[in-house]
Amino acid sequence: MPSDATQLGQTLSTLLTIAWLLPLAGFAIEIFGGFWGTRQSKAAAYIAVACIGTAFLCSVGALLYWGDQTDWAALQPHHGSGHGEAGQAEGDARAAAEHAAAHPSHAGEEVDVADHAQPVSGAGIPAGAWEHNLANAPEHAAPKSFSGTFYVLAGFGSLRVAIDWYIDSLTLVMFTMVTLVASLIHLFAIGYMSDELTDDHEDHQVQTAHGHLHRPGRFSRFFAFLSLFSFSMLGLVLAGNVFMVFVFWELVGVCSYFLIGFYVERKSASNAANKAFIMNRVGDFGFLIGLMILWTYFGTFQFANRVEDGVVMPGLFDMLRDGDGNMHLSDSGATVLLDDGSDAAAGIHEAPTIPYFLLVAAGLGIFAGCVGKSAQFPLQTWLPDAMEGPTPVSALVHSATMVAAGVYLTGRFYPMFTPEVLLTIAYIGCITLFLAATIAVVATDIKRVLAYSTISQLGYMMLGLGVGGWGAGLFHLITHAFFKSLMFLASGSVIYGCHHVQEMPRMGGLWRKMPITAFTMLVGVIAIAGLAIPGISIFGEKIAFSGYHSKDAIVATAMTFADLNRTHFLLFYAPLIGAGITSFYMFRLWFLTFAGKPRDQHVYDHAHESPRVMTVPLIVLSMFAAFVAVGGEEGKLFLLLTNSEPAGVANGLVASSPSNLALPSHEAVHARHALAGTFALVVAALGALVACVFYGLRLVNPAEVQRQFASLHTFLIEKWWFDELYDMMFVRPVHVVAKWCSACDKYVFDGILHGLAKGTVLVAHWDRMFDEQIVDGLVNWVGRVTYGTGSLLRLLQTGRLRQYVMFIVVGVVGIWVIVQIFAS
Amino acid sequence: MNFAELIERLTENTQNSLPLFSPELCLVVTIVALLFVRLLGIDRHLPGSIVAIIGTVAGLALAALQWRDFHADDTVTSVPLFTGLLVYDPFTVFFRVFLLLFLLFVEYLTMISGIPDQEDAPDFYVLLLGSTLGMSLMVSANHLLMVFLAVEMTSVPSYAMVGFLKGRRLSSEASLKYVVYGAGAAGVMLYGISLLAGLLGTAHLPAMGAALVEFGRQHSSFGDPAVRTLAFGILMVLVGVAFKLSAFPFHFWCPDAFEGAPAEVGGFLSVASKGAAFALLVRFCLALVGKTAGDSPLSHLYLNVGVGLGVMAAVTTTFGNLAAYTQKNIKRLMAYSTIAHAGYMLMAVAAMMVILNAPAGDGTLVTARTASAVSCIQGLLYYLVVYFFMNLSVFAIVALVRNQTYSEEIADYAGLVKQSPLLAVCLLVSMFSLVGMPPMGGFVGKFMVFYGVLEAAQLHPVMWVVFVVGLLNTAFSLFYYLRVLRNVFISPLPEGARPVDVPLASDGGRYILFLTLPVLVLGIFVDPISGVARDVATWLFRG
Repeated sequence: MPSDATQLGQTLSTLLTIAWLLPLAGFAIEIFGGFWGTRQSKAAAYIAVACIGTAFLCSVGALLYWGDQTDWAALQPHHGSGHGEAGQAEGDARAAAEHAAAHPSHAGEEVDVADHAQPVSGAGIPAGAWEHNLANAPEHAAPKSFSGTFYVLAGFGSLRVAIDWYIDSLTLVMFTMVTLVASLIHLFAIGYMSDELTDDHEDHQVQTAHGHLHRPGRFSRFFAFLSLFSFSMLGLVLAGNVFMVFVFWELVGVCSYFLIGFYVERKSASNAANKAFIMNRVGDFGFLIGLMILWTYFGTFQFANRVEDGVVMPGLFDMLRDGDGNMHLSDSGATVLLDDGSDAAAGIHEAPTIPYFLLVAAGLGIFAGCVGKSAQFPLQTWLPDAMEGPTPVSALVHSATMVAAGVYLTGRFYPMFTPEVLLTIAYIGCITLFLAATIAVVATDIKRVLAYSTISQLGYMMLGLGVGGWGAGLFHLITHAFFKSLMFLASGSVIYGCHHVQEMPRMGGLWRKMPITAFTMLVGVIAIAGLAIPGISIFGEKIAFSGYHSKDAIVATAMTFADLNRTHFLLFYAPLIGAGITSFYMFRLWFLTFAGKPRDQHVYDHAHESPRVMTVPLIVLSMFAAFVAVGGEEGKLFLLLTNSEPAGVANGLVASSPSNLALPSHEAVHARHALAGTFALVVAALGALVACVFYGLRLVNPAEVQRQFASLHTFLIEKWWFDELYDMMFVRPVHVVAKWCSACDKYVFDGILHGLAKGTVLVAHWDRMFDEQIVDGLVNWVGRVTYGTGSLLRLLQTGRLRQYVMFIVVGVVGIWVIVQIFAS
Repeated sequence: MNFAELIERLTENTQNSLPLFSPELCLVVTIVALLFVRLLGIDRHLPGSIVAIIGTVAGLALAALQWRDFHADDTVTSVPLFTGLLVYDPFTVFFRVFLLLFLLFVEYLTMISGIPDQEDAPDFYVLLLGSTLGMSLMVSANHLLMVFLAVEMTSVPSYAMVGFLKGRRLSSEASLKYVVYGAGAAGVMLYGISLLAGLLGTAHLPAMGAALVEFGRQHSSFGDPAVRTLAFGILMVLVGVAFKLSAFPFHFWCPDAFEGAPAEVGGFLSVASKGAAFALLVRFCLALVGKTAGDSPLSHLYLNVGVGLGVMAAVTTTFGNLAAYTQKNIKRLMAYSTIAHAGYMLMAVAAMMVILNAPAGDGTLVTARTASAVSCIQGLLYYLVVYFFMNLSVFAIVALVRNQTYSEEIADYAGLVKQSPLLAVCLLVSMFSLVGMPPMGGFVGKFMVFYGVLEAAQLHPVMWVVFVVGLLNTAFSLFYYLRVLRNVFISPLPEGARPVDVPLASDGGRYILFLTLPVLVLGIFVDPISGVARDVATWLFRG
């Protein structure tokens, strides 16, 4: 159904475009809120919520419409799906049955893969013809992705800069997730930011000569930036070419800069904003290099193929990989053959190639961008500082937008990564998740704990992607978005309720004062810790929140990967241990904040539950955090995501030259799933138990443990001395070099420049003198000669006119002479 | 063929040509109407400007409708008009629309600024329309005789317009200088034309092309006196065009004429007359070369013409930019800026000539060569469209400020931003665009032209020099535009300065905004106009 498919693509793009542009429209209006309305008006917030809310409806509409049009082919259950939506499940079953009848072999293989009990003869053996290739797909299947062009900005020569869109199930899920989380955060922010609704806002954290700083409230500005942020993120997700990704990538960066530095008068906030921006620039430098390499060798920025005048111009993915997801190396293995759509065999011209090491470099470059944006080691230090922004911003940055962008791009760009790059990604993720988790254990600022936990969880995602679990990594991205935004908003609620106290040692026992916040937070804590009740199941489902399923998927993939590549065993143990630490510090946070006795009576007495506009988002988010991943890897969310999994990922990769790395196939992962799940659960439960012992039951005094491990504690408190390390390695040398440079600039370059400037002025003067003296002088001389003969014309003499005319002759003759010299 | 047959054929030809000539006819009718308006004294009730605008709009509509005459799958690439004196193709139509639209803008500006008073208005518009008519002929000229006539038809009314402020001595002096200089240049050009016609036995451009191939077979080396004579002829025709372009060393009239003329006229001359001259130059160059790359026996001669134009372009740009440094009068400054921009645009033509005529030893395909040449012309056309808005915008601002402060000295622009933020911001946008900063349209224009020069540079080393000089000049030009902007934005408003009050809600304010917005739009939405330019340029090389 090509025409139907085109129609479907058009409808989807229309819906998502509306969803994408609405926040921009909102931004355009809200940014003038301060001029058009009063500082007390909440209008800007309502506009922002309306825009992002409508965008959410459009996204959901698009998702449902897509599913409906494709008969929910993506959701064909591997075995009976047991939860809710009975009608839907029935429809699925029917579709599956039809499908099976029409293509028995195909459906059979799917069942094979889904079957846990199926013994696996050997890891990494291709599981047969798992058909992902569009060309070979069954006739009635709609294409997996849709793409098109909104507008061609410009084309110079072969450079084509366009605004393209690319939609597959990943795009749809991301859109829905981003708009939903953003909507709730917008809503929450109406309450949280209400103290900005004034003409005279007093900022207690800024001291001026006359006491605290007083400034007008910035309610409208906040929502304007929030809208712009959403717009940028949605544009990034919708983008159909790398160039556009880069543009929105930077826009996301700029928006985070605005929002982190929202309290611009606070030195710490403006520093944090700078730090976030500069750290990201470091990563973006790599991104740009990758972009240039790709452009040089591939000659296109497009993801998807493009048909122009009946000729298919392949996009990046199809140039590099064939329908089964394989790259084609030259015999020596040093270059990768690219398919540019023309039939190379016909001998019209040679197929383009790219040296293998440059492909690796391009992949590393692009990933460097993701490292910056997703705060991975070694660029992780900006994220904790980004807590200086208002809490809703932290929630948005940490869940749905900024940091998600890096993981999303890694997923989107997956086909472009060689196994070496994937291994790098895995190790970076592994280091990050361990490092951040350890720091989170000792942090006492409630938001900082969450910040480090974000870094750690992002490490999990990167690790998952790196070890070949495309679906697992992105699965965790989505579930994490829900429970992390939930926890941030809950912490925001605590901070709001405690009048901007953020230190956990001053809290305690707050659950009595703010029960909704406490219990929604608990949902988030359980979700992120990955706890489940083993053995018992309801409706055939494990009793577990979303984090269990997604983390389980990652650990299982990592375990399989470590089995296949024995030297990289750390890639399994680190996330396993990390899971325990995660569980520990999250429960520590909850116990310290909500349980036990109040430690600061003053704070406790003034604490209060937040207004409904703040608690309702919490409740909604807690629902999602708990149930979004129901069914785990047979659940709807995971199936939806993996519908757009790049070809070949499911089959894994057999170790071969030049990388000698094997990637696990889906079958292999499934075989180890139960085992990995048990490991992870045991470790997580241990972590929770220890936290309970330390902070819940207070059987052991944490302070004593701290004293015993004082040096380790300091080491962690100081965040592994990373800030100091960077300060010593980069900042101070830069200062020294800068001093030299400034001296050099002052005494050498300025001298040269001043000289140049003087020279230029001098040349200009000469030029004028040349014009007035020599040219005119010459002509004057000629004029004087003619003067004698033409004294009658004296009356018509107007100064230089005759000289001008003479110069026509001089010019013609002059050029002629030059031509003669050159030509002969 | 007897006489009656001849007459009949002529009649038929004329009848076929007239509809395609309708925009020009419309201008002619308007001119006659304006004369009658003056003669019968109607202009007291119906201002001349209204008549002129009505005529221009009608002409513009007719010209715009002619877009539809061309389809991509046509086999006919151009239609000769009036037995081949003129040619009708998309290039003609593009420039007609360009010129008439520009005329409309200038007419509206003169209405706002009131530079011809009620009494003189019909006279002024007769001159303005007459000059445009000449330009319109210039862009469609297909015969050297028409070339000369058109150039003169353009020039003579401009002379009068430059001296239109009769009471001012400076104005009259400028006009006289322009007349005499123009006459000199015309003489040189006419001599060149006579040499070419004499050598080749025809002055019809397509016939000339064919004759040149034959000529090249007989005389190919530069040592041959016949070839030297040919080269001299070409040189002298180019001198005539260079005068219209105000390219170095034939620019001397330009600063004086612009300083003396009202800003409105300056704006008109700088854009319209330059655009027409570039069209003529392209037509003349292509007539020499033929439409395909590198197959003429005289290629080496044309290559030298191309390189020569490139050097001339580089020198012109450098000269214009450097000489602008020390100017105190803004119109004089803009005159030098005009010279510099003529140099940038001339680079595109030079690049085209080099690309078409460089020795094909490196195996580059002819089609690829032609595609590069197309992109040069595309760049030139885009540059002209951007130049239309950014340059007229500056001149219009100068006119509006002059109406209120009675001054055109740069020093008197101090603190303009406090008096009229709108004018100041629009001046900033236009001037940054003139410098060539993104995201203004000027950047895209320069980018496209330099892209062409870069391709030419791979074929001839001298074009590297031209390329580098072009880039350097972009930096040079920053300084003098910034000097104006510094005055406008940073210098304090002197006490007792005459007020400049041009709010957005005035005719002038809206007009300036309307002129400046396209400068930004052209910098961001490149494809629509660059697509048109590409089509027009492609058509030029078809067949």
